[in-house]
Amino acid sequence: MNRLNKGFRNELWSPYAAGVLLGVVGVLAVWLADSLLGASGAFESLAGMIGKALAPQAFNIMYFNFIMPTGITWAVVLLLGVMVGGALGALSSRTWKLRLNTDDKQWKAIIGPQLWKRWLIAFFGAIILEYGAGIAGGCTSGLAISGGMLLAPAAFLFIAAMFASGILTTLLVYRRNW
Amino acid sequence: MNYVIALFLGACFGFSLNKAGLTRYNKIVNVFRFTDLAVLKFMLTAMVVSMAGLYTLRGLGLIQFPTVPSTYIVGNMIGGLIFGIGMALTGY
Repeated sequence: MNRLNKGFRNELWSPYAAGVLLGVVGVLAVWLADSLLGASGAFESLAGMIGKALAPQAFNIMYFNFIMPTGITWAVVLLLGVMVGGALGALSSRTWKLRLNTDDKQWKAIIGPQLWKRWLIAFFGAIILEYGAGIAGGCTSGLAISGGMLLAPAAFLFIAAMFASGILTTLLVYRRNW
Repeated sequence: MNYVIALFLGACFGFSLNKAGLTRYNKIVNVFRFTDLAVLKFMLTAMVVSMAGLYTLRGLGLIQFPTVPSTYIVGNMIGGLIFGIGMALTGY
């Protein structure tokens, strides 16, 4: 029991163990709520809700009317839970801490330790990321994992494309250090 | 009730991401450099477990599949290509 508790509190689990947990969660989501796990759609629902309140004309488009539901959807609540769960995970290993900059050594060595670099790249990278997720119909969780477990062809096309451009981008960023 | 389930499942989801280390820049980027395959191990384990669970439950007649993410080949691929750039830059 003691060993189990110690293993539970480890900062990192074996990815296989964490993967089994996510797999069970994926099954439960379909079973209990008839929904798929996803993250990127929640941001779009929130953005759509704010947009419809501030500029209803501009947001009265096909995407927000028919494809992406706006408002506080199931996915938005799920996203809230993800934040809670992530914090709980960090608290369980006593690594929870508010940070403005990343303390990742690799980031600091390759990109640089400056705060503005982290925020600038995070901001524009996230725009690129969310835009791509919008076109593809989901992100790593919503399309690749949730779609993959239902054997949707879209998921495997997405994973292939994601890795192709991800590898190319890291090649360009890391150059000789790749 | 549905929202309680969402909150609970979301918490487990976030917890597993944290424990797998997917909240870190180096884990996400190193999978594209083939120096740390934790992301792939995590993703594929999750997929295999839920695949097995879902198809068993459907075989037993306990669940029906929700709407499967739609396939539109060019869109999925272009979206994936753009997504990969953002993912490799930020490490999210």
